[in-house]
Amino acid sequence: MVRTNGLKKHFKDPKIGLKKAVDGIDIEAKPGRIFGLLGANGAGKTTVLRMLSTVIKPTAGTATVDGLDVVQDAQKVRASIGFMSNSTALYGRLTPREIIRYFGALYDMDDTLLSQRIAYVIDKLQIQEFADRPCDKLSTGQKQRVSIARTILHDPPVLFFDEPTAGLDVVTSQTVMEFIEEARDQGKTVVFSTHIMSEVERMCDDVAVIHDGLIVATGTPETIREMTGERNLERAFLQLVKFQAGYVSSKAVNS
Amino acid sequence: MKVARKELTEMARDKRVKFGAFVMPIFLVLMMVQLFGFIIGAAKGAVKSTVYFVGEQAELAKTFQTAGMTVKTVPTIDEGVKLIKAEQAKLVLAFKPPTADGQIQIEGYYDPKQQMAQIALSGIQQALAQQNKLLLVETLKSKSIPEAAAEHVKLIPKPVEVGQKGAGELIVGFLPYLIVLFAFSGGMSMASDLVAGEKDKNTLETLLISPVGRNQIVLGKVISLAVVCFLSSFSCVVGLVLASVLKLPGSEEMFKNGFGVTGVAAGTIILLQVPMVIMFASVLIAISTFARNPREAQTYLALVNFIVIMPAVFSQVIGLTDLGSKLWINAVPVLNSANNIRNALLGKTDWLAVSITFGVSAVLAAIAIWIAVYLFSREEVLIRI
Repeated sequence: MVRTNGLKKHFKDPKIGLKKAVDGIDIEAKPGRIFGLLGANGAGKTTVLRMLSTVIKPTAGTATVDGLDVVQDAQKVRASIGFMSNSTALYGRLTPREIIRYFGALYDMDDTLLSQRIAYVIDKLQIQEFADRPCDKLSTGQKQRVSIARTILHDPPVLFFDEPTAGLDVVTSQTVMEFIEEARDQGKTVVFSTHIMSEVERMCDDVAVIHDGLIVATGTPETIREMTGERNLERAFLQLVKFQAGYVSSKAVNS
Repeated sequence: MKVARKELTEMARDKRVKFGAFVMPIFLVLMMVQLFGFIIGAAKGAVKSTVYFVGEQAELAKTFQTAGMTVKTVPTIDEGVKLIKAEQAKLVLAFKPPTADGQIQIEGYYDPKQQMAQIALSGIQQALAQQNKLLLVETLKSKSIPEAAAEHVKLIPKPVEVGQKGAGELIVGFLPYLIVLFAFSGGMSMASDLVAGEKDKNTLETLLISPVGRNQIVLGKVISLAVVCFLSSFSCVVGLVLASVLKLPGSEEMFKNGFGVTGVAAGTIILLQVPMVIMFASVLIAISTFARNPREAQTYLALVNFIVIMPAVFSQVIGLTDLGSKLWINAVPVLNSANNIRNALLGKTDWLAVSITFGVSAVLAAIAIWIAVYLFSREEVLIRI
């Protein structure tokens, strides 16, 4: 379970003054369900996930992950989550096996369990073929599989995915999405940020639409469509973020 | 230690570390040994170089030939000056007619801008002084005056052995400088990768999300970098041993009194290196943490490198002053380590000075670690991009 209450994150920007990246959000992600955090670039999705994964501290509000407070029990929270994003890179000079073992050691896994889990994730994600090749030499798809292996190695009850398929080809995206669905089926709590509507429609059980640091709608994809009166989730999203059709062309004409 | 082990594995596979931190210091020491050997050989050669006489002077020519010089003749002074201007002659000697009291005056033409010519002139002066002394002794003898009257006051140098047997002057001159220099610059190439590089490559976030504390991450990075700094610094000594074993051209000049690095000196060097490399590694990590990306880190590191180089350079010439024996010098970072390494190589380890230097370096290392941990614990470590 992931729950936030009035969660805020404000940054002091020397150029623009106070920037309210996240301005009081309440969300609840439940075990065995995929919670989609839907928003445009800069909406605040990554900031929310960074607060939930304890990398940055909230300015105000509270958040619990697996029943643990993200500020008070930060270290325990980190031990109970897996985090993956499309931008997460690997250490180029290490092999996938070395990276996986390194992170297993960081999660204080004992040697026997670690060896079992390494064998499991390597087999599960079909990494054997390139497990001992430096990561610099791997394709994007292979790297993404290693990232997934690193994310699930310690079998965390909560998983965060920050736009995990952005920039990936169709085949690799499919692998990532199948893996996320499998995690949901295993009863894990999954929080998934994206701006790709087809992924939301396919995978998310619950959705929160975030815009300018605020939640503008929550519910299932169906209820989001119903509340906007749109048949298509993309149009529903655009309506919620008050996108003005023809904005770009009218601006071009006026200028 | 998990973080340190992983960083060391990565660094061991990095060509920049292999070449910059290990091959480079060894190569540099080998080159310097050869260079110094060549310069000393050339200077000695200049003393025994060719001297041009204006006209024939058989008796003096014999004197100079005995001193190892080659004597050639030119018909006129103008011809001799032409040769100097054409850089074909270093020294041309023109003999004036004897004075009324019988003194033979010699005009020595040379280019004062040419150091080799100055060395040759000095060699001639020494040879003439020797010749004058012999003549004086003979004159005194012929008049039944004791030989000692030729040198009424004679200084007899008596070297006093202070401390243990030390290394040669040239080794003492440049080894402390290189040890200190590579203790810092040996880790520079990797430092920017360790934190700023992780930000740039997006691997830092994954590390921060693991349950390992940020102070442990910093300590792991500091330890791994300190190991590289230490090994890089120690590579200078390896280079020196290699130069001695391989007997490269020039090494006979450097090691004419033997290798000279005693067990006590080696132990003292290691003792001083430990807090120094921890201090340097912590400073490097703090800079890398502060920087937004590796390029920015490299800019800061290049500037800080000068702060390290200056006291290190001064340590090369500290022997020309009496500062090296002052107690307060042990409170000056970097210079204190270099000076104590110098004293250890001279076989004059002062344990009080070593203790103060160790303490000062240890305190500074602790402060630098604290700053690195502080910078790494801030949110800006990830979001200041």
